[in-house]
Amino acid sequence: MAQVWREFRRSRSGVAGLVILLVVVALALLAPVIAPDRLLDVTQLLDNPINHPPTWQFPLGTDPSGRSVLVVLLWGARVSLLVGVVATVISMVIGTTVGMAAGHFGGWTGAALMRVIDFFLVLPSLVLAIVLASVLSRSVWTVILAIGITSWAGTARVVRSQTLTVDARPYIERAWALGAGHGHVIRKHVLPAVMPLVMANTTLTVGSAIIAEATLSFLGLGDTSKQSWGTMLKLALDSGAATGGFWWFILPPGVAIVIVVLAFTLVGRAFEAVINPSLRER
Amino acid sequence: MSNTLIDSDAVDAVEPLEGDRDARVGSSFGQFAARKVGGAVVSMVMVVLLGFFAFRILPGDPVRTMTRGRVMSAEQLAAMKHQLGLDKSVLQQFWIYLKDLPQGKLGTSYVYKRPVSDLIMDHLGPTLLLTSIAAFVAIVLGLWVGQKAAWARGSWFDRTHTATALILWSVPTFWLGLILLLVFAGWLQILPPGGYDSGDGSTGLAHVLDVAQHLVLPVITMVAVTYAQYLLVMRASLIEEMDAPYLVTARAKGLREDLVRRRHAVPNALLPTVTLVFLHLGGLIAGAVTTETVFSWPGLGWLTYSALDGPDLPLLQGTFVVFSAIVILMNLIADLIYRFLDPRVRAL
Amino acid sequence: MRSPAHRGVRPIAATATASAVLALAGVPALASTASAVDEGGKHILKVAYSSTIDTFNPFVSIYLTPTGINRMVYENLVQYSAKDGSPIPGLAESWDTSKDGKTWTFHIRPGMKWSDGQPITSADPQWTYTQMMTNEAMSQANGSLVTNFAKVSAPDPDTLVITMKEGTAVNPGIEIPVVPKHVWSKLKNPAKFDNSKDVVGSGPYVLESYKPSQQVVLKPNPNFWRGKPKMDGVTYVNFKNGDAAVQGLKAGTIDLIGGLEVPQFDALKDAKGVTVNSGSGRRFTGLGLNPGATTKDGTPMGDGNPVLKDPVVRRAIRQAINIPALMDKMLQGHGTLATSFVPAVFPQWHWHPDKSKLATYEPDAANAALDQAGYKKGPDGIRLGKDGKPIVLRLLGDNSDSTDKQMADYIMPWLKKIGIKVDLQMSDGDAISVDLQKANYDMYFTGWSLGSDPDFQLGINTCSALPVKPNGEGGTSMDFWCDKKFDKLYEEQHAELDQGKREQIVQKMLAMHYNAAPSIDFWYGDSLEAYRSDHVAGMIKMPKKGGMLTGQSGYWAVWGAHPANAQDVKKAESASNPTGSAGNDDGGGMGGGAWAGIIAAAVVVLGGGGFLASKKKKPADDRE
Repeated sequence: MAQVWREFRRSRSGVAGLVILLVVVALALLAPVIAPDRLLDVTQLLDNPINHPPTWQFPLGTDPSGRSVLVVLLWGARVSLLVGVVATVISMVIGTTVGMAAGHFGGWTGAALMRVIDFFLVLPSLVLAIVLASVLSRSVWTVILAIGITSWAGTARVVRSQTLTVDARPYIERAWALGAGHGHVIRKHVLPAVMPLVMANTTLTVGSAIIAEATLSFLGLGDTSKQSWGTMLKLALDSGAATGGFWWFILPPGVAIVIVVLAFTLVGRAFEAVINPSLRER
Repeated sequence: MSNTLIDSDAVDAVEPLEGDRDARVGSSFGQFAARKVGGAVVSMVMVVLLGFFAFRILPGDPVRTMTRGRVMSAEQLAAMKHQLGLDKSVLQQFWIYLKDLPQGKLGTSYVYKRPVSDLIMDHLGPTLLLTSIAAFVAIVLGLWVGQKAAWARGSWFDRTHTATALILWSVPTFWLGLILLLVFAGWLQILPPGGYDSGDGSTGLAHVLDVAQHLVLPVITMVAVTYAQYLLVMRASLIEEMDAPYLVTARAKGLREDLVRRRHAVPNALLPTVTLVFLHLGGLIAGAVTTETVFSWPGLGWLTYSALDGPDLPLLQGTFVVFSAIVILMNLIADLIYRFLDPRVRAL
Repeated sequence: MRSPAHRGVRPIAATATASAVLALAGVPALASTASAVDEGGKHILKVAYSSTIDTFNPFVSIYLTPTGINRMVYENLVQYSAKDGSPIPGLAESWDTSKDGKTWTFHIRPGMKWSDGQPITSADPQWTYTQMMTNEAMSQANGSLVTNFAKVSAPDPDTLVITMKEGTAVNPGIEIPVVPKHVWSKLKNPAKFDNSKDVVGSGPYVLESYKPSQQVVLKPNPNFWRGKPKMDGVTYVNFKNGDAAVQGLKAGTIDLIGGLEVPQFDALKDAKGVTVNSGSGRRFTGLGLNPGATTKDGTPMGDGNPVLKDPVVRRAIRQAINIPALMDKMLQGHGTLATSFVPAVFPQWHWHPDKSKLATYEPDAANAALDQAGYKKGPDGIRLGKDGKPIVLRLLGDNSDSTDKQMADYIMPWLKKIGIKVDLQMSDGDAISVDLQKANYDMYFTGWSLGSDPDFQLGINTCSALPVKPNGEGGTSMDFWCDKKFDKLYEEQHAELDQGKREQIVQKMLAMHYNAAPSIDFWYGDSLEAYRSDHVAGMIKMPKKGGMLTGQSGYWAVWGAHPANAQDVKKAESASNPTGSAGNDDGGGMGGGAWAGIIAAAVVVLGGGGFLASKKKKPADDRE
């Protein structure tokens, strides 16, 4: 672990990404402390100007309901990050399970699973997610599910190749000889070997999931009862903020997405380089 | 989702092929092709099944939805239901769907009351135009910058371009499109805000230029968010190639550096990248949905979006099947081309 | 060892694309020139549209845009007046009604011609109406308008007689587009005809061509009975994105646009050559409540909260919502507070009671009323229903538009103040429709666009509109409300041929509806629209005073349009800037400061990334 950290620390972009992420996560967690939720209760904000440019009182201006954009942005981070992380967890669980199974079990099972992976790999994931999100009932969980189900194939493929490599190692043969079952081999040997790879993939997928949430929200398939960066942008667009020139309402959610996604990508790349030394040169 | 979903780890995209390579050794091209075609057929069958049953997960009443806020008698509602074939059982509907599919029929749109296949044909042209131009520009730009960056690794050029690509990659497509729209169409007013042409009935060259003007912003949007993956893969595979023994030999033989680059390294590094291009077509299509929506570009993506109000399930089902079919076909072509081109595979 | 040719060249990523932009931007004949006057010197009115076009077949089409376009193409037997929507001559120049309201005789204006030169006779409406009455597929769009028709006959080419099943005061000649028999009767399957090319019509403009998702082209009909229209054509241009359409208006590629959001409207106020119009709309917005839905025979249906059966609770909800404040936030002055579901643009029908009869925002009074009715507050401040359970009401909202969520953000805390908890459920239109049909709801956001005669809207509030089966089949009820006294008044007004007396009955009915409160009607939103007053003038609003230009139930705006001359432009300029501030030239929207902000943000982001990436460099990497 310490070794990994030492290696990771050498990538300054990775460290910078990590710092950004820690700050964002801290702000999201502390949102109720920094900006109590009464600041979101619009019935108490009737006197606030709406769609007002930034002032000292509202550093990022106000939205169409008179809420401070900064406050909404802060609370939006919670949902956006939650969607990103939970969808990624789903994606990782499916991807790791299917990938390990496809690699570990040969014959029909492996071939069939490989087919499924290939299928999900080539399928236009946004279109599939649109389909899922539009036929399932609208909630934030639907969005999470739609993203999770459509984004696991990449992980599965990577995990599969790693599993194939691990399975071919001599100590696994030894384990077989000693009478270990599939369960034992997978749990004790394959899983630990693929875990780092999965972790690196995780950080990379979270960013994509956050963008996916924003995109689904833009298309009107998000859960507008939860305030996320995606639904903020949707509200901005629906309320004519773009033409009105309310840049303080359009730019922050987008910039926030870019920064967080970039941070996840930087961390993911750095992490990948650590666990896969052959990549480091790249 | 947005193209980023397809794989942040663009480099890995090449891997399944490399993994497959061992399996391919010794098999003839015919056997290989048969296996790949078979796989594509299985995928298509899965798309067809998914395309039908996914849309029956939730009970809905499209007729009620369409007529909400309108005075409708019970008889009218029944008449509409009958017209749309919604009074039949799910199994009957599935049978009709299966029967019609081989003839290219994809059902009748609830909203447009026209065959879905007609609607798709109407909108296919603009999408092909937009995505092919965007893909071409993105690939050329990505590969060109990618190989330059690899060669000048660590330089100012490399750092700026890798960083720019990564940032643009992190941008939600629709948001970027909207900002471009506001700047170039709204503020500077040098480009049209959307649509396919200005509809002034111009013909010939004037019309081509008119369409070209309307293409600029959508193409920039799509290129900006997709070229990064080509850049990164090209850069990564070229760096890998540069360390390959044969290049060291070539250098040792005293070949000039740029000759080495052009003759050996770049062609070899291009291979995995070409495959990636096809693999990532799904991402391009995702970009088309949002880009076409922002710029009112009358293509399939736009059609998909317009199918969402309602929702117009047969239309959504149709665009899903067609999009998937295109992508599966492209991947099949990529597999076959790769097999055909890769000297290492051919040699075996 | 870089290749020398590239040394010193520092292309940025965007170079290639940026030069492409500049190259194409340099091409002339774009934006500002392609206006109402095109190259050929023709004056074309370009209208932006964003909603769906299903089909131009008037027997089938139910969407707003094609229905509106068909109003240009087909003159009705009886037209709505621009003044107040009352029936005025269309194809019929006059009509008589029998005393019992059962026989309506229309006199067709002699000498009128279809756009292809064939004469218009009573055989055309006779064929049209009969199709709708006899052919199920042809009744899809407007079948409900002919359900009361017993027989339609054409005794001679200038006379049409409609015999009703029951006497009615509502003119049966309105709303239904009359198609040319000589074209339509030859079709094998007229219900499947898409009617989208070289259409033969009788209105001011006829449809020439349609490119799906792109544009609809109309050309003037020289044979229109009011005279040939003055524009050389009307083109509807599709925009899926409202902001893009607004940019088009600013650039001059669009002449007329409706359905604006307030910020868009405000941004266009000062744009040069643009005149904005906040026209009174014919749509109400409100909160529908489930008053204890039953079928026609009284079988309870749905899963509505029983507490809403109590009118005291429904009225308390009205008092708990600060409707004026909500309207101020949502519409910023572009609306009229509602008294009922009949909008104020129909002054003869609109309910205008004494102010004292209307509830105001009084949460304390609402609390008192609920206390008195026996709804005790629980420990957490939430009241308990008669069954002892806390009152939690579900509120259904449509996800595809942010408005519902915005309104819910206000309504939830306000209702909490009177001890009612709201469970907001955002979902899609399809799911909401199903829930509404089955009465599986407590509250939802409602809204209807009304025609000039309230008969239909009143009709769907009667008991006979309730479903036949508990699954909602056979029902068209607006809010599952049913009151026999209301029904009796409905029958009375339906048969009352004296306009003044009929108006009085309708007033009584609307008052009843208000007190029962099966829905809480918030407001009638204005239609926010804008047009290029430097290109086009003469568009007639509906209603003429303070009305709207887009989404009319007539052809008035487009019919009246003519190319703007210098005088029109001057007049428009002074009218659109009542405050005296001269229209500034920057085209409205974002000022330079805003854009400086955007560019600064972009620089920060890009710069930041560049910094991060630059730190990636490792000395060992330099291996050239």
